[in-house]
Amino acid sequence: MDENASARLMRRALTVAHRVGLFLAMLLICMPGIWIVLSSLRPTVEIMAKPPVWIPQQLSFDAYVAMFSGIGKGGIPVLDYFRNSLIISVTSTVIAVAIGMAGGYAFARYRFRGKSGMFLGLMLTRTVPGIAMSLPLFFVYARLGIIDTHFGMILAYVALNIPFTIWLIDGFFRQVPKDLAEAAQIDGCTRWQAFWQVEFPLARPGIASAGIFAFLTCWNEFALASQLTRSVNSKTLPVGLLDYTAEFTIDWRGMCALAVVMIIPALTLTYIVQKHLVGGLTSGAVKG
Amino acid sequence: MKGFKPSAPILLLLPAFVVLAAVVLVPLLLSLYSSFTPFRLTRPETFFVLIGFRNYVSILSNLDFWYAFGRTVLLLTVALNLEMLLGLGLAMLVEKATRGQRILRTLMMFPMMFSPILVGFQFKFMFNDNIGLVNNALQSLGITQDAIPWLIESHLAFIAISIAEIWSSTSIFAILILAGLLAMPKEPIEAARVDGCTPWQTFRYVTWPFVMPFAYIAMTIRSLDVARAYDIVKIMTDGGPAGRTELLWTLIGRTAYSDARMGLANAMAYFSILLSIAFTVYFYNKLAAARAQIGAEW
Repeated sequence: MDENASARLMRRALTVAHRVGLFLAMLLICMPGIWIVLSSLRPTVEIMAKPPVWIPQQLSFDAYVAMFSGIGKGGIPVLDYFRNSLIISVTSTVIAVAIGMAGGYAFARYRFRGKSGMFLGLMLTRTVPGIAMSLPLFFVYARLGIIDTHFGMILAYVALNIPFTIWLIDGFFRQVPKDLAEAAQIDGCTRWQAFWQVEFPLARPGIASAGIFAFLTCWNEFALASQLTRSVNSKTLPVGLLDYTAEFTIDWRGMCALAVVMIIPALTLTYIVQKHLVGGLTSGAVKG
Repeated sequence: MKGFKPSAPILLLLPAFVVLAAVVLVPLLLSLYSSFTPFRLTRPETFFVLIGFRNYVSILSNLDFWYAFGRTVLLLTVALNLEMLLGLGLAMLVEKATRGQRILRTLMMFPMMFSPILVGFQFKFMFNDNIGLVNNALQSLGITQDAIPWLIESHLAFIAISIAEIWSSTSIFAILILAGLLAMPKEPIEAARVDGCTPWQTFRYVTWPFVMPFAYIAMTIRSLDVARAYDIVKIMTDGGPAGRTELLWTLIGRTAYSDARMGLANAMAYFSILLSIAFTVYFYNKLAAARAQIGAEW
């Protein structure tokens, strides 16, 4: 009886500890974000106040209004940047995931000569830091006349994401037992059908996460974008962020407002695609 | 049939290779070539002058370069280890949660949505000695009266940069390890429980070996992406004070764009590429070993 009671107490203590730990971890993760949202809504005087003002006295959307009111009124062409970012990120993500699925499937399902080396070689193309990559790319692009175009950025980002999507998707295809597709083929599916009907649905969480990663990489990339874009034709949001630091001081409030604008689409998208990550990949399928 | 088989994977991989050759390989060869020239942005004709290994000799004898190199390695070691540990902890906390998993997972991925350049600004804001959140909090709590010069004193700046780096990348580890935990079949754990394993033993000998490949995938992805610290450091301290937080990449950027010494910068760039390759190969081998251990098929 006593043992039962102490075990129950122990269990409850563990649950509470788990809750507290989870809460603290999430608070730590969200704190900077909350601070940015808060700062974007506060007047600059309050941000600069000494001693600090902890409880916001007045909240307003002035920073957002100023941001969208166009050049000359303290605003920057956010809508153009936003459109560029969206077009470039979505297009390159779709292409990179398509190419990544083909490549990942090849690595996961076929045996061929030099496979290991090829895989590693693919990865090594990704090790080149953006800053080291930017200048030679600039030369080549200038020659081809695709500087400051959507096409140039999409091409660069597809290349940036391919190794990574192949890597991830390969890993998730590997988790799908080969027997399932073989069983489907024995039952009369072609290899193509077996892929789409059996393996693709099972690998979808992996493909979704690869897509999220690719999208976020494009959405957030700065080192290449800052070199390969010049004007509102193709400037993306991370590059646009620097418009707030053109002078000697930093407009913290405006910057925070743009940061919020940058984060909202990423947050929404992640939340939507996220459900593919739920659940085990194959548990259940191999059990039965 | 025999002649048919090998062509399928090649066909599937072809688009990837074409794009990578065009966008990565060719520019890379170009920059390799220019690392053997005294190329300056301001004087295009210098592109065609070959000077052999003089660029490499001059960076190898440069003390600043070696300091930047050492600092980069130190930052990576500290950041990657802590990210791994924290990511594992976070993933296990979230996996244990019975309610609100979906919202927790979204929150967990929150830092990944921040562009590195945004992380830099944000932490520059928070660690600002005058108006930053950290100093404000410390002063309001009465821990200190002084404005701690987070981004000005070199050791503190290193800590601040590490915190920013860890904050921004822990979620990559957490999300991948969580995917591993979710993909893991439940029977081995149940079997271990029935056989009388303690929770620690279950974790050490059942869960961990299974999750390890996912952890190494995360490690390898991070090792491919280590240069994202460039954006963060560039914004937070710009290599200052007096070059005391200079990393390999900020040094390259400064040499290339401020000093316009492209050839020299490309020579340095090849060192940083070698560093990244070493990291990647190391973790790739670890990944292969971990996969072999759980009997995954190659």
